[in-house]
Amino acid sequence: VNHSNTRRSGLHGAWEAVKNYPVILIVIGLLLIFSVLYTKRFLSPVNLTATLRQFVTLMLFSIGPSIVMLLGSMDLSFIGIWMLGSVLLWMLTPVIGPVALLVFPLLGLATGAIAGLVHTKGRIPSFILTLSILITYWGLTVVLSGGYPRKVTGYGFITASVLPRVPTPFLWSIPIVVAAIIVVLRTRLGITFWAIGSNEEGARLAGIDVDRYKTIAFMLSGTFTGIGSIILFEHLGGSAPVDFNMNNVVRPLVAIILGGTPLVGGTGGPHRTILGVLTFSILYRGLNLSPLRPEVIDLVVGIVLILSVIINSRGTRVKGVDIT
Amino acid sequence: MTQSDPFASPTPARFGRPLKTTTIMPLVTVVVVIGFFQVLNPSFLSYHGVVTIVYAMSYFLIAACGLTLVIMMGSFDFSVVSVMKLSALLCVLNIGKLGLLVIPFALAVSAAIGFINGVLFAKLKVPSFIATLGVSVVCDGISLLASRGFLHLVDDEKFRSISVTFIAGLPSIFYWALGIWLLCTVVSSATPFGRRVFAIGGNPRAAALSSISVDRHRIRVFVLSSFLAGLAGVLYVSQQGGWSMEMGGQMMIPLFASVVAGGTSLRGGIGGPQKTLLGVIIITWMQSGLLMMGLGREIQFVILGIIAIIMSVATIERGKATHLMVK
Repeated sequence: VNHSNTRRSGLHGAWEAVKNYPVILIVIGLLLIFSVLYTKRFLSPVNLTATLRQFVTLMLFSIGPSIVMLLGSMDLSFIGIWMLGSVLLWMLTPVIGPVALLVFPLLGLATGAIAGLVHTKGRIPSFILTLSILITYWGLTVVLSGGYPRKVTGYGFITASVLPRVPTPFLWSIPIVVAAIIVVLRTRLGITFWAIGSNEEGARLAGIDVDRYKTIAFMLSGTFTGIGSIILFEHLGGSAPVDFNMNNVVRPLVAIILGGTPLVGGTGGPHRTILGVLTFSILYRGLNLSPLRPEVIDLVVGIVLILSVIINSRGTRVKGVDIT
Repeated sequence: MTQSDPFASPTPARFGRPLKTTTIMPLVTVVVVIGFFQVLNPSFLSYHGVVTIVYAMSYFLIAACGLTLVIMMGSFDFSVVSVMKLSALLCVLNIGKLGLLVIPFALAVSAAIGFINGVLFAKLKVPSFIATLGVSVVCDGISLLASRGFLHLVDDEKFRSISVTFIAGLPSIFYWALGIWLLCTVVSSATPFGRRVFAIGGNPRAAALSSISVDRHRIRVFVLSSFLAGLAGVLYVSQQGGWSMEMGGQMMIPLFASVVAGGTSLRGGIGGPQKTLLGVIIITWMQSGLLMMGLGREIQFVILGIIAIIMSVATIERGKATHLMVK
């Protein structure tokens, strides 16, 4: 991008950052609004800790799908991996002990492999495929757990407090997020993902085995969700859940899209998702402090989803790709 | 399977074409499903069994017809269940004030939601599934807000009689559903409108180049889909006599499964409402059969999820040119 007039480097850098990540403005705006409206409660340590907890939940759920969305596909199975993994953990812990935690990444890997293979070989849209997987997993979860939430004890060490006021899951999530960012930004694999996302046909003509890399992306997504679920499982109460709520699927999606990973692929990625998740967490906590009823907050989430998709898909539409 | 000629003009699926596996398979499945449950449970095909299934099937068929139109156009509508819920709620809440006028009111609101879906997708270029997902979240929010999460009952006799009057041994909702299904079949396979929708599903770019106003047709189909979803909601609440937030539940997957099980391909341009009838029979009869066997809803979701995946793979035609990106 050319600038006719040169600016001072500091200002210029800030301008570039804002231009690349316009959501920064929204974060600052939200922070200001909520700080002025609810000065005492919003800036209280309790609320900041709560915001961080919300941030961790969304971040770990959205890190995997944001890799897949980079390729222009969609992975909705993340809640399913968390639910089914939790109930499998409940079943396996008495048998094999703490090694059972490995069930999360393994389930994630297997789910990703299935989703990737069926998506690429069967040529069916990934969103409906992963939605079907999600619903199947939810059914399996309820069947296996007998319909009751099952408390799994003995994994309290995952969330044991290390630093005051900072939720330990937040510390855990840092290496996971960093790993995802390195994979996407600093490896050949990541570059291939970008290539496929921005122009699938071009990537194919350039000799990239698109199907194989798509499958790898789904497997990576599943594995990251699986690893994240180890922490999320304890973070979200340490029991195998049986209630399925579509909101849990929609919120990470909103965060990813807010961050600037549009659904057409080729732009965005996990590093942008951090900002999106931050925005969403602040918005959500702020709305929670407001006198609005919880139902209204859900409504706002839906509207934010629609608006962010509209704004994100402006001008980013890749020629030759028909989004259905 | 032979490679189809990429230069051949796209012909919509119609009656009288040579039978293919995607046409025969649903028929065979219907027979297998009915036979299986009849053997396991001899009262399955009794009069009461059939009436139960007809009740479960009718509103479902109407909603599925709308979804079929969208899918055969190569798009997706997540908001069907939420629109159904909202339109049913509007009926329940306003029946005291408006009387039977509540029906056109609920249908108009549903169509308006469909119009929003259509504009988001066709004009603002938001991928249809995420646009309708957002709209469905908003609709559910409105439903929750307006109903305050309570159970609402309808005791208006006139309104109830729309669905539950028995004609020739079957409830009237069955005839409504059959009529809507016939209408959709005729519209999709025997009118210029239906032909254009097929063309858009087959290849939107080619359709646009053949001077079909793609955007306008897309909006119309989304309006139609939401309108039918709203109608399904009205008839459902008139059949059930009550509304709760749990209405519809996770109906999206059964709905979708019935559309693909009938033989409408997710790639667009193949299938149509005439095929969805068989899919709806397969899915709802299977659901009822499983319920009669005493199996819970959860195991149904396991089975339905797997059916949805298998059927979507089975209905994709391999020979079709890959002008659509697999998303």
